[in-house]
Amino acid sequence: MKGNMEECGMHEALMSYLYGEATKDEAARVEKHLNACASCKAELEGFERVRDMLQQWQVDDLPIVRVSVDGPQRSFFSVVKELFAVAPLWAKVTAVAALALLVLAVTGTEVRVGSGGVSLRADLLRRQRPALQTVSVSDTANLEQVRAEVKGLVNTLIAESEKQEKEELQRQLQALEAQLTTARSTELARLASRIQEHQVKIQTIERDIDRREGADLTDILFGELAKPTANSSVAAGGN
Amino acid sequence: MEGLSSDRWRERGLELSDSQIIEQTLEGQPDAFNVLVRRWERHIYGLTLRMLGRDDEAKDATQETFLSAYRNLSKFRGEAKFSSWIYRIALNICNTRLRSRARVAVSIEEQYEAVGFEIAAETEELGSDIQREQITRYVRRALQALPAEMRQVIVMKEYEGLKFSEIAEILGIPISTVKTRMYTGLTELRKRLDHLRGAI
Repeated sequence: MKGNMEECGMHEALMSYLYGEATKDEAARVEKHLNACASCKAELEGFERVRDMLQQWQVDDLPIVRVSVDGPQRSFFSVVKELFAVAPLWAKVTAVAALALLVLAVTGTEVRVGSGGVSLRADLLRRQRPALQTVSVSDTANLEQVRAEVKGLVNTLIAESEKQEKEELQRQLQALEAQLTTARSTELARLASRIQEHQVKIQTIERDIDRREGADLTDILFGELAKPTANSSVAAGGN
Repeated sequence: MEGLSSDRWRERGLELSDSQIIEQTLEGQPDAFNVLVRRWERHIYGLTLRMLGRDDEAKDATQETFLSAYRNLSKFRGEAKFSSWIYRIALNICNTRLRSRARVAVSIEEQYEAVGFEIAAETEELGSDIQREQITRYVRRALQALPAEMRQVIVMKEYEGLKFSEIAEILGIPISTVKTRMYTGLTELRKRLDHLRGAI
């Protein structure tokens, strides 16, 4: 299915020529060939007609594209960058400090704080760091002394700590006792007050009872006595 | 430019390059991406429509293209143009869809025969007053009958106006191959459409 231009070995040049991408030399070569080759010329004219027909198909309609997704997959760096931007100051400072520590740790940096000030020693790959230190006899004696001092110091600290704990417990116990005493006396006072109230009530009730009993007896006595008195007066009147 | 509304983005987006808009999108402003959608949707729809030949399928493919671009935006390297990148995505989507149609692979001759007969039969009835819509229909059919690798080259050249070098970059093939496919494709189209020459 080879076309004319392909047979003539001109098809690539013709495509460049047809679409205006040919260089001057290429265009001159194609034109020279077209003047000499009628079938290639006819092919070119045919392609131009095809191009005209292709251009008849124009797109009028347009789709409505809606892109509403969760978000593009963002790079780790951009996420960290955004997080850092919105983080509060304390978080930023902490992050920077942590990063600095990490870098120091990775690079094998030693930080020493002594009487001579602060000293730094970076030892990437830790090549120059001695693996093990040899200890001499004099060092051993010093080490024992230091160990004894440290032991004494630790014991003192423990004793002080225990003493403080005991004192604290003592204080708490005293406070509790005081609270208990206060609560007891308050309760006693309340009880005494209640007893007193009850006594007053009992006395009142007793008085009421006494009064009632007195009244009833009077009623009985004088009520019973009144009847014969009335009868007797009538009898006396009748007599 | 933080927190711009969609409308403001539409205005500001006109001033920005594709790369700048991508940068803004990746910095957390998804509205910026809509500017790219507006800028490229016509091109992508045109490409997918001419590749797939079906309107509804082309719309779906366009949507899919932009979604895919949005989701993979962080993978976009500024070395290539955004247009090349999104054209490549669209073509991949079209090719997947074309493959999934599970059409029986037939030779160019067989396809030509199948489509050519139909056109020839109708041509006789058309006469000299062929309407543009009818020509469009034939062009559409003729394009659809071409193998995808020829069709995509013709579509990108004829309708998107890309240079041969750009098409080569998008498809990852040599420029000479692009020109050969173009030549073969045009030769095929000429055979199928030449009977309409009086209508143009």
